[in-house]
Amino acid sequence: MARMKFLCDADRCIECNACVTACKNEHEVPWGINRRRVVTLNDGKPGERSVSMACMHCTDAPCAAVCPVNCFYTTADAVVLHSKDICIGCGYCFYACPFGAPQYPKVGNFGSRGKMDKCTYCAGGPEPDFSTIEYEKYGSNRLAEGKLPLCAEMCSTKALLAGDGEMIAQIYKQRVIKRGYGSGAWGWKTAYRETVAI
Amino acid sequence: MLIKRKTGGPGRTFHPAMAIGDTPKVIDRRAFLRNSGLVAGGLAAAGSIQLGSVRKAQAAGSSAIGPAVTIKKNICTHCSVGCTVTAEVVNGVWVGQEPSFSSPINRGTHCAKGAAIRELVSSDRRLKYPMKMVDGQWTRISWDQAIDEIGDKITGLRDKFGPDSVYWLGSAKFTNEAAYIFRKFGAFWGTNSVDHQARICHSTTVAGVANTWGYGAQTNSYNDIRNAKTMIILGGNPAEAHPVSLQHLLSGKEINRANMIVIDPRFTRTAAHATEYVRIRSGTDIPVVWGILWHIFENGWEDKEFIAQRVYAMDDVRKEVAKWNPEEVERVSGVPGEQLRRVAETFAKEKPATLIWCMGATQHTVGTANVRALCILCLATGNVGKPGTGANIFRGHTNVQGATDMGLDVTSLPLYYGLVEGAWKHWARVWDVEYDWLQSRFDEVPAKAGRKARSRKESMESPGITSTRWFDGVNLPEEQVDQRTGIKAMMVFGHGGNTVTRLPEAVKGLTKLDLLVVADPHPTTFAALDARRDNTYLLPICTSLEMDGSRTASNRSIQWGEQIVKPAFESKNDYEVVYRLAAKLGLADQMFKNIKVVDGVPEAEDILREINRGGWSTGYCGQSPERLKAHMRNQAKFDLVTLRAPKDDPEVGGDYYGLPWPCWGKPELKHPGTHILYNTNLHIKEGGGTFRARFGTERNGVTLLAEDSFAKGSELTDGYPEFTMAVFKKLGWDKDLTADETASITKTGGANIDAVSWATDLSGGIQRVCLDRGVTPYGNGKARANAWNLPDPVPVHREPIYTPRPDLVAKYPTRPDERQLRMPNIGFSVQKAAVDRGIAKDFPIILTSGRLVEYEGGGEETRSNPWLAELQQDMFVEINTGDATDRGIKDGQFVWVSGPENNAKAKVKALVTDRVGKGVAFMPFHFSGWYQGNDMRKFYPHGTDPVVLGESSNNTTTYGFDPVTGMQETKCTLCQIRAV
Amino acid sequence: MRRTLTTFRTLVAATILTATVGASSTSFAQQTRDGLNPTGQNPTAESVNEEFLFKQDPKITGRISIPDGKAAHLIQPAGRDYRDFRERWLPWLSALAVLGAVALLGLFYFFRGRILMERGPDTGRKILRFNGFERFAHWMTSSCFIILALSGLNYIFGKRLLMPLIGADAFGVVAQYAKFSHIYLAWPFMIGVALMLVLWLKDNIPNKIDIAWIRAFGGFVGDKHPSAGRFNAGQKMVFWMVIGFGSAMSVTGLMMIFPFALTDITGMQLMQVIHALIGIAFIAGILAHIYIGTLGMEGAYDAMGSGKVDLGWAKVHHDLWVEEEQAKNASGPQLGRHQVPAE
Repeated sequence: MARMKFLCDADRCIECNACVTACKNEHEVPWGINRRRVVTLNDGKPGERSVSMACMHCTDAPCAAVCPVNCFYTTADAVVLHSKDICIGCGYCFYACPFGAPQYPKVGNFGSRGKMDKCTYCAGGPEPDFSTIEYEKYGSNRLAEGKLPLCAEMCSTKALLAGDGEMIAQIYKQRVIKRGYGSGAWGWKTAYRETVAI
Repeated sequence: MLIKRKTGGPGRTFHPAMAIGDTPKVIDRRAFLRNSGLVAGGLAAAGSIQLGSVRKAQAAGSSAIGPAVTIKKNICTHCSVGCTVTAEVVNGVWVGQEPSFSSPINRGTHCAKGAAIRELVSSDRRLKYPMKMVDGQWTRISWDQAIDEIGDKITGLRDKFGPDSVYWLGSAKFTNEAAYIFRKFGAFWGTNSVDHQARICHSTTVAGVANTWGYGAQTNSYNDIRNAKTMIILGGNPAEAHPVSLQHLLSGKEINRANMIVIDPRFTRTAAHATEYVRIRSGTDIPVVWGILWHIFENGWEDKEFIAQRVYAMDDVRKEVAKWNPEEVERVSGVPGEQLRRVAETFAKEKPATLIWCMGATQHTVGTANVRALCILCLATGNVGKPGTGANIFRGHTNVQGATDMGLDVTSLPLYYGLVEGAWKHWARVWDVEYDWLQSRFDEVPAKAGRKARSRKESMESPGITSTRWFDGVNLPEEQVDQRTGIKAMMVFGHGGNTVTRLPEAVKGLTKLDLLVVADPHPTTFAALDARRDNTYLLPICTSLEMDGSRTASNRSIQWGEQIVKPAFESKNDYEVVYRLAAKLGLADQMFKNIKVVDGVPEAEDILREINRGGWSTGYCGQSPERLKAHMRNQAKFDLVTLRAPKDDPEVGGDYYGLPWPCWGKPELKHPGTHILYNTNLHIKEGGGTFRARFGTERNGVTLLAEDSFAKGSELTDGYPEFTMAVFKKLGWDKDLTADETASITKTGGANIDAVSWATDLSGGIQRVCLDRGVTPYGNGKARANAWNLPDPVPVHREPIYTPRPDLVAKYPTRPDERQLRMPNIGFSVQKAAVDRGIAKDFPIILTSGRLVEYEGGGEETRSNPWLAELQQDMFVEINTGDATDRGIKDGQFVWVSGPENNAKAKVKALVTDRVGKGVAFMPFHFSGWYQGNDMRKFYPHGTDPVVLGESSNNTTTYGFDPVTGMQETKCTLCQIRAV
Repeated sequence: MRRTLTTFRTLVAATILTATVGASSTSFAQQTRDGLNPTGQNPTAESVNEEFLFKQDPKITGRISIPDGKAAHLIQPAGRDYRDFRERWLPWLSALAVLGAVALLGLFYFFRGRILMERGPDTGRKILRFNGFERFAHWMTSSCFIILALSGLNYIFGKRLLMPLIGADAFGVVAQYAKFSHIYLAWPFMIGVALMLVLWLKDNIPNKIDIAWIRAFGGFVGDKHPSAGRFNAGQKMVFWMVIGFGSAMSVTGLMMIFPFALTDITGMQLMQVIHALIGIAFIAGILAHIYIGTLGMEGAYDAMGSGKVDLGWAKVHHDLWVEEEQAKNASGPQLGRHQVPAE
């Protein structure tokens, strides 16, 4: 039905970190794991911009390609998910990921990185929808409830857009036309091999 | 913007095109499961983090999303934007937060704090039960014991030292109802030393704005900024302090291609989105504003018609502005004239234009004057009283507007009635108590240090000590404090200990107090400074998310919040604690005479009804709990920009969202509230209004009433004074009053019925008739460019006490030493000493302070929330790249920031950045728990220490107070920074 | 004179004073006009964009407040090159290396066959070649190596070969154990390599004899055996390979065990590439070592098996060492003048 994407309109992002804490709140993500983060470029200088970034759910996702145990899968909505039962926490997906999305809990002694955790686009994991086990491993499953990721839904300035790629591109295009300049669809070229044409 | 939420239905519908198309590996979950033959548990679970707390899982039972979910709506307790919080509650546990799409204010969104607010309630770092310090050790006690002992102790102090020896510090996080009963409690206790955070955020705004055009509040609203074509943000960083407001600002910027001008010493996250950024030297706001006005007057860009009709004494301002030619402005503030010309032309010509300010303008020794200058800029360009214009003052805490309205202020009773005899008599009538009895509660002050003695009545009418000076009230020799004795006890409700400047002095004060009571969800800095051994109590108070009540957002909209969950642990709400304390002191029967008390807890709705019965002066009379609740039910019906509901709606038809005050008359009149103050283009019944005729009808032969300007549909087509029975009789309007109304007015007026006014008429008849005749009850006056009752009637520049430009002090000295609000203000002596001693050489860097988006206020609450604390783990100082290089300081290393008073020093991390200019440093003010380089974690009661601790910026802040409100100087002092 | 001096002093002082005042006022003026100060500029119009930043640096990096430094990289498309290497080249390279080594050894075996022990008068007598501790070090290292190699290859081939065979679930378990073993056994392996370095360094210093040995192709070709000390040049090569590759694997491996401790994402990717490339070369090299130590040469295995080798074999392959040993230890089997059988 839809090809889900994220788009962060840097002209609106003010680094308020609502996306970050909304994610923590929705999934009760522990300290040290940051499924989403906001990076400020050119900090303190004219032209400063902030961009909220998480897993972009790439087309032909590099994480899935390099995974030595093939724990990734892509849903019909083009959301890239993974199974924590298969994941071995090797860290390769982090090396391949252009967006620094994969996170690893430090669970053991030296080197035993725990199983990878990342943004699920609020779509849970392979376990049955709304099951307790799904919630404990991957967090809640808003997509199955017909809701969008909470980070985007709670974005203070509505900079972070989530939803079908074409629809959010359309919203962004309208804004660009209104204000007369673009802010670039950050990461789109890298993630989706395309950008929003204005 | 999001695509509209789907209602129900599976989110992951299979799309054939996707599978065949460009994504080669589409496997749906079930197929993946089948292929992998996964089984849960076993080795697979090893090394996996557990998301989702046990708490949530247990509450939710087997299914996370079940039918047992109830939705509760409350208001975010952080800033004043007033975001609706939508909570999902299962079995009495708050399990999730959903976006509040229907709220016209936040439209689903939150900032970091709002999106993490659930943890505030569930936090296990909260104070769990009452505690008492015994020989330096925290000990658990019961509520009964706590109330008993505290009651006995304050009664003892009262008997020995008088009622003014106990200081009542309230909170901007109170609901309106809690703020009201706290102020009422102060009145019944017999003191005016009842204050709250507005003192240290916008007290100067309230004073400055009210003295200009009548009411001390934001004239328009966050939403209305969408109409602006030009916005100036001066001394504010809403991107961090009010993030959700930026939604409206940036939308306006897009829709109208609006100019967004940021004037600030610091290149903030807000400045990054500006179309023009003006960097000024801290503390030179008046030169900059006068510099802008210089160009406006020079080029004739002012709104002459508006000034003639609605402004008093603009010519006095012209004289002062003439001194601020571009060269002098640049010499003092550093801003090139050419840039200010551009700003001036934009603001005057590209209308509607609005002026937004925050603490950068208010927290100065010249705070009130700054605010006045800003108002005058709006007046000169005719940018008040229309959509897209106005003084959009972004206030601080969730209910700082409401708490100010409710009179948590040393200079006023609730709703700005002041402390005059008429005000006391009005409230005595509302409270149904004897005026004489109230008077008997106050103190008689003997003559001392050359000052005359003070009777009970004079004490009753004399403003109390401000919260910025409480420790001076403890530390200073008693003859310098203008009451019987100094302060002996602090009763602190919901107020941080690190938010007031000169922390080392506060520590001294804490050690000397006879009694310290902290009533808060967290122990706060007061409890963790290691200053006390005994006579210290901690009372766990629930957050306002755990109680019913209304809150007033910055735009004057009042929103009803419902209790989301029951108070956690042994915590109690403010209503119950005030009630129990009143009961212990034997005041409860009097205080709660007309308020329903259920199981020892006063009912919020009934408190609001009492506020309605007395709140005529500010139009707090029409917002009944029923109407406010209807607004919360019908949030989606209000327009995003006009904030108005369609007229045909059965419940909220025609209302503005939250019935922004003034909402005239009794609730039955269904006044819609006033979205935009002083808007003459609307009938008063539609939310129109005029400038308030608050300052008389003429001065030195010049009229103070509007000329040829009046609100739409008004029967009086010129200026008019405020309405009293005397005026009514002259106009013959007294015949419109019903018999009941006349009876009530007669009862109120007694011998002098003519004096009964729109503000003291308990029947609401005068207001009702005014509305029918299209006139504003408070009159139709001119705004004052010259406020003759203020220390500087026309604002003049005064250098900060600790200025980096001692060369300017001779020409622009601070005000002479004088006594204000029961205390001496020796700013002049301090400034002179600083210049004479060459302080600026040893402390060459300007130190300013401000907010971070993750934390709020003193920060105990937010620093205890791990979701927020993780994002800011260290206290830091922003230092310019050049200054850092000169000192060999690297980004992220520890440095000592030292200040010119008390040998103050703070150990913090350096954040090397060009956000601050050369010679300027910035510190956030939310940290505490480190003191002069020492970690104080062990002094918190066990398990209540915040996740993140750090030096308080107020370790190094210095002397300096606004002469009108006692506002502290936090934005401009001096410091030195050295690598550790 | 004195007066002139005083005047001069006053003059100097005045100049200094003026200079100071002048300097301070100019510095203030500069403060608002220098490059650090954005006054007068339009921040919106000059906002940074992706294309511009990518021209400056292959990855886009900014400021974050969380302490996790690697989160400061916003976009780093270099991951694509890493992916290319790992998924496109590495499987083929490693297959080529491992299978190539096996194939070469097979060919060698096919043509040369097993190098048999040459029977002589000393055949049957034993000489101690490796003591218990040396053998312990060797076997500890080598057993770890085998598991490390297999679990390492699993990172490349597991999902391609094993997963389809045993299913994802079972493979998940295997891979998890493989990962644990790869990380935990790395430590004894590293200790082993260090031990071997200490034990055998002095016997592995290259010298002139090695040149002759190499010229003679180590005796693999032709009938003549070149002279050799305790270790011949071939064995020395194995030693230095183990030391060299072993340390490289250790360094890169440690960097991966403690990710981002010393390097950033680019460094981590590079560590990965080096670890994988050296790993497969190491495996190929060790395959040859295993071949020659077991199947390839009769009698060689005993050196690490029982520790004692056939004296005859030793005399042929390590003549100089045997001489040295016998000279050192008179009670042992002697080689001497009378060693040459009487004609």
